[in-house]
Amino acid sequence: MRRLKRILRIAGNDIRIMVKDKVFFFWTLAFPILFILLFGYLYKGGETAPPSAELTVLNQDEGRWGAYFLEKIKSPGIVLKTAGTEPAEYNRLIILPPDFSEKIEARKDQALALKKREDASAAAAARVEIRLYQAIARLLSELVLYGDGDLTKFLDGHAEFRDLVTVKTRYPAKTITVVPGGMDHAIPGITVQFIMMMVLIYGGVTVMEDRKKGVLSRLLFSPLSPGALYQAKLLARWLMGMLQALMLFVVGKIFFRLNLGDVPLSLLVIAVFALATAALSVFIGSLMGKEDMIIGLSILLANVFAGLGGCWWPIEVVPPAVRTMGMISPAYWAMDALHKLRFFQGDFAAVAPNLGVLLALAVVLSILAGRFFKIRD
Amino acid sequence: MRRLLLILKNDILRHLKAPVAILLYLIIPIAMTGLIGMIFTPSSKDNTLPPIQVVLVDKDKGLASRLFLGAFDADQMKKMFQVTVADEAEGRRRMEKGKASAMVVIPARFTLDVLEIKPVVLEVVKNPAEQFLPDVVEEFMNTMAVMLSGAIQAFEPEARGIRLMLDGPIDAFPWESLGPEFGKAQKKVVAAEKYLNPLLIRLQEEKTKAVGAKAFMTRSDIFSAVLPGMAVMFLLFIVQTVMRDIISEREDGKLRRMLTTPLRPGELIGARIAGGWLMGFAILLVMAVFGTLVFKAYWGSPGYFLLLAAVTAFWTASFFALMNAFLKNRNQAGAISAPVILAFSVFGGSMLSTEAMPKAFQAIGLATPNRWFIDGAALVREGRFPAAALLVLAASGLILLFLAVPLLRRRSTV
Repeated sequence: MRRLKRILRIAGNDIRIMVKDKVFFFWTLAFPILFILLFGYLYKGGETAPPSAELTVLNQDEGRWGAYFLEKIKSPGIVLKTAGTEPAEYNRLIILPPDFSEKIEARKDQALALKKREDASAAAAARVEIRLYQAIARLLSELVLYGDGDLTKFLDGHAEFRDLVTVKTRYPAKTITVVPGGMDHAIPGITVQFIMMMVLIYGGVTVMEDRKKGVLSRLLFSPLSPGALYQAKLLARWLMGMLQALMLFVVGKIFFRLNLGDVPLSLLVIAVFALATAALSVFIGSLMGKEDMIIGLSILLANVFAGLGGCWWPIEVVPPAVRTMGMISPAYWAMDALHKLRFFQGDFAAVAPNLGVLLALAVVLSILAGRFFKIRD
Repeated sequence: MRRLLLILKNDILRHLKAPVAILLYLIIPIAMTGLIGMIFTPSSKDNTLPPIQVVLVDKDKGLASRLFLGAFDADQMKKMFQVTVADEAEGRRRMEKGKASAMVVIPARFTLDVLEIKPVVLEVVKNPAEQFLPDVVEEFMNTMAVMLSGAIQAFEPEARGIRLMLDGPIDAFPWESLGPEFGKAQKKVVAAEKYLNPLLIRLQEEKTKAVGAKAFMTRSDIFSAVLPGMAVMFLLFIVQTVMRDIISEREDGKLRRMLTTPLRPGELIGARIAGGWLMGFAILLVMAVFGTLVFKAYWGSPGYFLLLAAVTAFWTASFFALMNAFLKNRNQAGAISAPVILAFSVFGGSMLSTEAMPKAFQAIGLATPNRWFIDGAALVREGRFPAAALLVLAASGLILLFLAVPLLRRRSTV
């Protein structure tokens, strides 16, 4: 009991010193929030495409088919702008040539020029393109229905296209009902990344400094064993990570309506992840003797793990080989568990494998950190 | 001047003797560029996304659903989609494991409804943990639905005929009447072929650039585009590490001892700033050479790039000289410089493309060396002279230098 009290006192003191540091709130709160805003803005998902995608039409057709085809393109998400000549400014431009009708009536194939500005929204471009393909499919279906008849008379009367097959979308049962926003993806990712960054840098540097300045050896004058001192340092760094996660989740909840799914389980995932990171920080701080080296290595590890683990970009766009490689990153297991909890309303059984991997990693790193923990150089 | 060069040489040799920290800062941008390149470089020219994993749930198991499944076997479809046929529970499991972006559910009675020309609803169940790929599947299915609707309408009488065949006992069906029906169907197929092979109307896509628009960042150029941002970010880290000597020597009394020799404060300050500049310049060159050899990054005109690298390194050295003139000790320098560098890097476009940022962030980015170096490097890649970037960096670097030197001189002699 006394030993526990001593450990808690030293860990509490480390946290007190850290919180008093002027840049603490920059690293733990301000900087991650800046990242959350940026990544949340960048990955707004479906929101990134403008509500209506614009398509400029240069209809040079000398017959009636051009106007008929344009009618087929019209749909709620598409805004058609007509131009008399090729405009200098446009996002997407489709050109119906003068012989558009003539070629259709002669059943001659033709290619319509679709010009897309490189710097325009890719999501809007994709929407326009899909509508164009759908319009072509509708028109061709009507022509097939019409058969061998005289196409010059087609527009005077023909069978209308009917949408017999439609598509309905939904999310799997017992998951989410509202489309997740960019912040739902950004906040967990940035939290995981900054726990690594903050705990590794701050935790590692302070372990090294305490050793170099003789703080650790002086603490051993008290009735404290080296093992207890190590446990106190590990606990302090774990608390550091938890404190940061709690602050970011609270800010996320208040300002960005963050929904974590099962909150206690999400915190458990973060707790085990933070323990692995804390152990790694003590390990790095024990092995290295220079602040710059610790900062450099911590930035390298935190960024590579964050990138591989899916903290910055949706893991779905990552090639399969890189996704497999990502499994070496503790961030991957934490992010995967947070996704299961948030998006699939997962329970303990769903995240148990992730917790198992993270816990095993935490145990291995804690043993290593304990083995290499030095009181003096 | 000779003394300045001697100090400079000594400083550089000292840093090269303990190069681990500098090497680490060199490895980080290279590793990050490699990682981003691995993730965002497309595997082929026409397909920018990895194949989308789709689970098909066939609740119908009839003729129409089998034809529908067969459509996914076409070569072009295989490039886009990796289809697994499974039940809904397995589909959900796959989504949870991140092994499926969407599940397409073909409803029971699909074949019968198609043959009876009744409206049919296909379900697309999206993976809630994914942001982009489920939407691609949804849009693709919408297009498939249009095509299916067209096919059903075109072959409506034939469909109704098959439906009749399915209903009655086999011996009650008038097989002899099928001849003319097949003839009609054949005519339709032949007519359809005129429209579908080749397609009567196709789209010919062309990517265009507005007058004065910036170079398009294709994925094949990803390394060339990412490396400058990473390089300038870690240039800042390395130069601040090197130039922290100004503070550490003042703090541990080395500076006072050095000034007991016939060295002038101006020479010491000059050597420190020149050291930071030279080190920064060398770092940029090493990264550029490494990027060229390993990532096949393209930098454009070597002359323009060297000029831009030299001016950026000069700005960086001047900036940290001024910063160190204000800071009291190493702890303060460590605490302040890293947030400043990271803020420069976030707003300046080293971590995210500035074009993807909100307008306000883009405006703040103009006050960072990262933004000017990245923009300048993009211009050099396009074969243009980065006049604005050079002018801004050189002019502001000189101002920083003129402010830093008297302040450092005063603090050296105190």
